[in-house]
Amino acid sequence: MKSGFIAIFRRSVLQIVRRPIYWAAFFILPLFCFMFLSNLMEDGLPLKVPAAMIDKDGSSLSREVTQSLAGMQLVDLTEDCNSYTEARHLMQEGKIFGFFMIPENFQQDLLAGRKPVITFYTNMTYYVPGSLLFKTFKTTALYTKAGVAMTVLESVGATANEVTPLMLPINLSARAIHNPGLNYAVYLCNSFIPCVLQLMILLVTCFSLGQEIKYGTSRKLLAMADGSILKALTAKLLPQTIIWWVIAIFMESWLFKINGYPMHGSWLWITLSELMFVLACQGFALFLFGVLPNLRMSLSVSALLGILSFSIAAFSFPVESMYGAIGIFSWIIPTRYNFLIYIDQALNGIDVYYSRIWFVAYIIFMLLPFTFIWNIKKNMAKPVYAP
Amino acid sequence: MLSFIKKYTLQLFKVYCREFKLILGDVGIMLFLIFLPIGYPIIYSLIYNPELVRDVKMVVVDHDRTSLSRELTRNIDATQEAWVIGYASDMAEARRAMDSHKCYAIMEIPEGFERKVREGNQANAMLFCESSLLLRYRGFLMASTNVAQAMGAEILNEKINEIAPLATTITDGDLMPVMNVPMGNIESGFDSFIMPGVLILILQQCIILATGMAGGAKRERPSLIGYDGVNEQPSVLMTMLGQMLCYITILLVPIIYLIHYVPLMFAFPMAGNFVEIITFLTPMIIASAAMGFCLQGIVWERESVFVLWVVTSVVFLFLSGLTWPRYAMSPFWTFVSDAVPATWGVEGFIRMNSNGASLAQEAHDFKMLWLLAAIYSVAAYCIQRWVVRPSIVKGYNVYSKVRREEI
Repeated sequence: MKSGFIAIFRRSVLQIVRRPIYWAAFFILPLFCFMFLSNLMEDGLPLKVPAAMIDKDGSSLSREVTQSLAGMQLVDLTEDCNSYTEARHLMQEGKIFGFFMIPENFQQDLLAGRKPVITFYTNMTYYVPGSLLFKTFKTTALYTKAGVAMTVLESVGATANEVTPLMLPINLSARAIHNPGLNYAVYLCNSFIPCVLQLMILLVTCFSLGQEIKYGTSRKLLAMADGSILKALTAKLLPQTIIWWVIAIFMESWLFKINGYPMHGSWLWITLSELMFVLACQGFALFLFGVLPNLRMSLSVSALLGILSFSIAAFSFPVESMYGAIGIFSWIIPTRYNFLIYIDQALNGIDVYYSRIWFVAYIIFMLLPFTFIWNIKKNMAKPVYAP
Repeated sequence: MLSFIKKYTLQLFKVYCREFKLILGDVGIMLFLIFLPIGYPIIYSLIYNPELVRDVKMVVVDHDRTSLSRELTRNIDATQEAWVIGYASDMAEARRAMDSHKCYAIMEIPEGFERKVREGNQANAMLFCESSLLLRYRGFLMASTNVAQAMGAEILNEKINEIAPLATTITDGDLMPVMNVPMGNIESGFDSFIMPGVLILILQQCIILATGMAGGAKRERPSLIGYDGVNEQPSVLMTMLGQMLCYITILLVPIIYLIHYVPLMFAFPMAGNFVEIITFLTPMIIASAAMGFCLQGIVWERESVFVLWVVTSVVFLFLSGLTWPRYAMSPFWTFVSDAVPATWGVEGFIRMNSNGASLAQEAHDFKMLWLLAAIYSVAAYCIQRWVVRPSIVKGYNVYSKVRREEI
């Protein structure tokens, strides 16, 4: 039996090459997820939300409203309904995400000052299309209102020059800096793709170590490392680190170069962040394995945390809006720091000074396994498989 | 004929009992069948339970310093969405606050803001929002639109008298009230939006994970799991049926809990009919179990199922159209999402549970689910018959492979 660092390294490489499950975990699954998420949301926004129009009035004005609504970029008036019930049924069947209702005698009431009510309904069980429809419907309704107000004012003698600025005397426009088009892929891919990587690193690290204990080969591993657990683990995990680094660098270029998501900062810090992220995830996985040195338990916890990370790391719902007792858990997840560094260094491109603490967090994750390394050694020396 | 039926019923019963014993003794599978559907939805719902994003911090750079500019700041602060934490003397200071993560938006009011309004011109102000989170931006957008409109209407009414004294009789109050009615998720809450779909996804995934793990368990060393696959070989079909029935029996309580009690506890929309929903989900459960039987073809040991299947939850979440609607998917991804039981399950469940649709209205999804159940069952039978069964009979397992390579 050969011993030493090189021998363990070679053994670890062979294990990866011989088991197809590693090919899937290292390459097929992560790369598929990268490709899937960016490709799915390639268009940036789900334009052309299917919607319906209920025109109970049928006057020239109501037809004008319909036309201007149909001309809006975000909406696709696929259905023409005669009643609320009909439109509601279409919504329940999933054919439309909302509808716009013009009441009977709308034009007549409006010009007579009887204040007819325009109502629009949006299906908020689907957030993105619902919100887009809300925006479009509201804009259309306000344009209509402004147009009517102008007609009324002009009819009583005001000139167009006087009236126009009055329609919107205060114009407060909200701009999303660095993502003005509100590209949805930028929001989701930059957070979800690293989170997929974290999940796979956690699972593979725990899986590969747990295998040693399950099949009783960990004793040989320790013997090869001359009884040094540090040497055994470093040599065992180094081939994985190298593969993950390659994947992480690919991920970085996939996001910011190939897909062209906003990158306003320095490549140095983002690259450093991705490399440290891999080590932090491995460190976190080693820590979990040290606490629960059992193949199934460590994998269960990794899977639970890995999947919960997609929500608890606050990619869509901000931490400060969560319950305090829940929100603190976002800070124990490596991918949260990857996300924060991405926001600072890539999206906003601010000075690295503001992100210094996030980098320190990575280092803490790397040091974390040292607290429980004795437990890994104990279990590797006396491997017991508990199903 | 009668003995034929008797023989197979007996086999079915035997498999059913055997599986029950095996599963109850297997903590790993019980975790998937009991903890996952019972514990996971609670953790998940608690994360999003505050529902709305309120009081997001922002700072104001007021170059105008007039009563109107102060009124604008006050009104923004008074909205549910925004919270003005303070004034910054210039944009540089405001930027520093934003960079150090103290606020997420900056409102800049230019000099001459009030003067422009008084002169009868349009006055502009800008709200720069940090765009890392869509929900924060959405809140700021709502707040700024509402405030600008409300203040605009007030100014309009004041001004109209000066221009055309008679017009007030017409424009007094709101000329044409606009009303928005959010449907399904009436509070427009985030938890109520995402959780109903996630519940169905959890159901599908826990069935597939449990089935996959059970398949892996059958290929472990017999001494480890107390089951000798080589000697006991009832017909493939009866084995599948027996296992499926056994999982469904165990899952009965978790399913009722998932689709009735979780929404009840967290006050999610519940407009559907319970019996109709259960009926609707039956083919999805069968299709998921059949998908699990297909997965057994590549699960060679119990724990591989984690590595191979857990990440698919993310993919299925997106394929279901919950975040990125299905109408906007490319034909290829639409086809892929059509092939996932949870896609139809999530869609149908949301419409029935949140929008109050009846089973008849979801007939298309219901048919698609039965079609998927049929396709996956046939595929599962083939995989069980020609891949899984032969490998169990040969007694192949990873243990001997690892041992062989190690020596």
